Amino acid sequence: MILLVLITIPLAVAVLSSFSRQGRFGGTITFTGAVVVLGLTARTTLEIVFSRQHLLVAIPHWITLDALGAVILLLVAVVNLTAALFSLGYMDFKKTGGVRRYYVNFNLFVFSMLIVPLIQEPSLVWVAVELTTLFSVLLVGFENTHEALEAAWKYVVLTIMGAAIALLGFLVLYWAAKQVAAPYHTWQGLLAVAPKMSPVLLKASFVLILVGLGAKIGLVPLHTWLPDAHSQAPTPVCALLSGVETTAVLYVILRLLPIVSAATAIHAKTWILIFGLVSVGTAAFLLLGVRDYKRLFAFSTVEHMGIILVAVGLGGAAAHAAAMLQIVGHAVTKSFCFYAAGGVLLGMKTRDIASVRGLIRRAPLTGAALLLGGLAIAGAPPFALFLSEFSILKAGLNQGEYLATWLLVFFIAIAFFAIINHVSRMVFGPDENSNPMRPGSLPVSCRITLIIAAIPVIVLGLFIPGTLQKLIELAAAAMGG
Amino acid sequence: MQGFQDMATIMGNLNALAGGLFIIAAVGIVATRQVGACLKFFIFQSIFLAASAFLLGARPFSTHLMAVGVINLVTKVMFLPWLLRHLLKEEVYARREITQVVSIPTSLIIALGLTIGAYFFSLPWLKAAAVTGAPRINVPVGLAGLLLGAYTLTNRREAVPQLLGLLAMENGAFFAGVAIAPDLPLIAELALAFDLLILIFVVGVLTRAVHERVGTTAVGALAKLREEGHK
Amino acid sequence: MSKRILFNVLQVLVVMGFSPLAMGVLNRFKEIVQSKQGPSIFQPYRDLWKLFSKDEVVPEESSWIFRVTPYIVFVAPIFVTLLIPVLTDYPLFWAFMADMVGAGFVLALGGFFAALAAVDTANPYGPMGASRTRMVGFLAEPIFLIVFFTVSFVADSTIPFIVQQKWVTPISNFFEPSHILLLIAFVMLILAEKGRIPVDNPSGHFELAMIEESKDLEYSGKGAALMKWGGWMKFFVLMIVFLNVLLTPWGLASTLSWEAVLLAIPLVLIKILLFIVFLVFIESSLAKLRLFRISEFMSAAFVIAVIAMLTSAFTQ
Repeated sequence: MILLVLITIPLAVAVLSSFSRQGRFGGTITFTGAVVVLGLTARTTLEIVFSRQHLLVAIPHWITLDALGAVILLLVAVVNLTAALFSLGYMDFKKTGGVRRYYVNFNLFVFSMLIVPLIQEPSLVWVAVELTTLFSVLLVGFENTHEALEAAWKYVVLTIMGAAIALLGFLVLYWAAKQVAAPYHTWQGLLAVAPKMSPVLLKASFVLILVGLGAKIGLVPLHTWLPDAHSQAPTPVCALLSGVETTAVLYVILRLLPIVSAATAIHAKTWILIFGLVSVGTAAFLLLGVRDYKRLFAFSTVEHMGIILVAVGLGGAAAHAAAMLQIVGHAVTKSFCFYAAGGVLLGMKTRDIASVRGLIRRAPLTGAALLLGGLAIAGAPPFALFLSEFSILKAGLNQGEYLATWLLVFFIAIAFFAIINHVSRMVFGPDENSNPMRPGSLPVSCRITLIIAAIPVIVLGLFIPGTLQKLIELAAAAMGG
Repeated sequence: MQGFQDMATIMGNLNALAGGLFIIAAVGIVATRQVGACLKFFIFQSIFLAASAFLLGARPFSTHLMAVGVINLVTKVMFLPWLLRHLLKEEVYARREITQVVSIPTSLIIALGLTIGAYFFSLPWLKAAAVTGAPRINVPVGLAGLLLGAYTLTNRREAVPQLLGLLAMENGAFFAGVAIAPDLPLIAELALAFDLLILIFVVGVLTRAVHERVGTTAVGALAKLREEGHK
Repeated sequence: MSKRILFNVLQVLVVMGFSPLAMGVLNRFKEIVQSKQGPSIFQPYRDLWKLFSKDEVVPEESSWIFRVTPYIVFVAPIFVTLLIPVLTDYPLFWAFMADMVGAGFVLALGGFFAALAAVDTANPYGPMGASRTRMVGFLAEPIFLIVFFTVSFVADSTIPFIVQQKWVTPISNFFEPSHILLLIAFVMLILAEKGRIPVDNPSGHFELAMIEESKDLEYSGKGAALMKWGGWMKFFVLMIVFLNVLLTPWGLASTLSWEAVLLAIPLVLIKILLFIVFLVFIESSLAKLRLFRISEFMSAAFVIAVIAMLTSAFTQ
């Protein structure tokens, strides 16, 4: 029941904000809704961790939540809250028209991401994933500039192309399940009959879904839209897109993994490993030449999705737990990075890395945030991503996957160097070119967001609460061996 | 009994015919020179998809497949052209020739290659599933539709044909779907239809925004966002 | 046996006798559709009569090819007539000589000589038309082959008398996708092969734009008559193949009796009349394609033929 309430809130808020005359009202109720959603999500998460079955059922075989879903739900709720908070100041500051449209779309987008981990029927999950694209397209193009529209167009074309491929994959999955008379066409039901299913069909559906949804996650070679869309969207939307939308789609592949792993002939993990490594490698080298700091963080998303896939592809409980930690760390850190980048953009009015110098002297808060975000996302100790990346490497070496692990180390090192190089020049570099930044120009809510969003980034690196640790372990267990 | 058997064979053949015409319509979307003609081919393709759903759902009678057919007709044959004509009147009726990357005869040959490829890709699936009847037609045709739609997307540089390419890809997936997943829950069908409506609407609105802002719908010309493209 | 020979000769006579009439009807009907009065449907016969009674002029520079070509063009369709089911659905005396591929070769031989003769005259328009015909021919050839392959693949035979039965027994075979798609491809092929709209305009008199007609510009008198008549017979034979082998194998004589065969003549003519109506409809609703768009028209036919083959492979 609580789950149903949870997902109706964003819908209700979307309806309400479509009636609001002033933009202010939409922002306020969006924020309120986000707070309530986070509260409810926290409660359900606790319930799942401490209940015996680690499962919450709203409608049997249709809407249920387990630990893996709960992680995603929690991340969506957290980033939703910070994004809603940032939106308040951002929309005020931008003073663009269409605020109402923004909030309606924003809430629908959040709704579509919330239902992805809740739905159990795979074909409906596909619909939910497609909805995340459709509700966010107009947000990506919201600024209505040439670049934003171009980004939105690339985004919609590539991801929907991928979605169509994935649709065939889901239908083939259904076909394979029908042949062995699966009682329920749900993730659980499929898992039960997976060993009996035809390996050929299972493999076909897996490859189709991996390639199709890979476009949405930003896997190379269908990643080209991602840096555009994730950098052109309004900042709060960037945080949602990069932080949790990719993760929510990745979740679908994680769900599929134990099902296809049942048939060993498929080599599902090898596929995932290769896709992941190629993405990490490509993103790492692209990061070196980036000139736009929002694109910097967008490429870093491609890199991190690759790392997560590599971890998943390595397999084993340790690597899976590390992958879950990486997912959590990435969502929290990446959204924070985009808030920092958004702060810089609001102040400096340029996306060019070369024109931003000496940020720490001009705008200490933004500068510090950018530095913190850069370090955290690059995987420097003592942040969460360092911990998770280290665990992944350890797990890889323990399993004797030396080539993959060392390649990963190499790519991560390049990416680390690239990010730190760009960020440190922006923060500390000598500001010889005088691009005057108005002091105190950052709206209050954005400042508060920066501070709030920084808390989990710092805290998670130093210590992980017992409940979260338990949740991550449960979620890793749900991904199979 | 004999008549019944004949009827079933005829229905099977008609379904196969719908499949063949479906591919030809997909090839038509690849190879025509005007937006309006593209749209017409797409509408034909959707009609053949609906025809396949009706034929497969007629005996034994299946409400799901009938629903799929009706949904298809309503969304793609009626709603889509109506919406495009309202949102993008001047685009759809433009009599100018639309650009494409590869020349038409070469495109046709590539399209044929993709169709043959789809057949060979899906052969192992059909063997694994050990099926007879409709899936033997619908799966290769559906996969071919998917690939041809993807080719349309890469080959066309205009907004409306690209949208049609996207929808043609989904048509391809659905064409396979009516045979291999005929009893998908009705809620899923409705959700898919809803999804399509939003897709059409969103892309339509986006195209209009591009048209108003950039002054063209030749989206292939949109290339500001590139690594080397920045100053 | 003697009946089989006689019927075979009768087939030839039907083709020779009615092919000008078919052309006359086609022309008249087209004019009527275009709100004109048009010539009498017997005009082709008068043309033939006029040409036969005129003197023949042969260019000085031309070789034996020029003189021999009218006879080849005239005989090729007659030869094909011996092989195909014009009036009967069982093979007649000379039908053993070649199958559909062989018949195709013989028809192509006529076209080949016509092109050679056009080059032979050294008239500037002749070679131009010949090269264009060859271009269309080159594009049409693979489609012809694919159509034949598909037919033989589906019917396990290239003998027209076996193929025509295949499509209607049982009747559900008629709806086979390969059949319907082949019909579409074959109609496109007939249009291209006989230079109809949209590939060529048969009633155009502008030499630069001609494809098919420009080849016999230099002929006069008897030669011109034979060339024209041969062309009409080729068209007639193609229609017969399309109608009797591929589309509607009904209305043919199935017994070796005079009544059945004589009754088949009006039935076949009615089928041809209906097909002509259909052709006029196509020709009046389309415009001639620019020369370099012909390759697109032909590749469309090619795609349809290949997809016909593929779908028949799917169903097997």
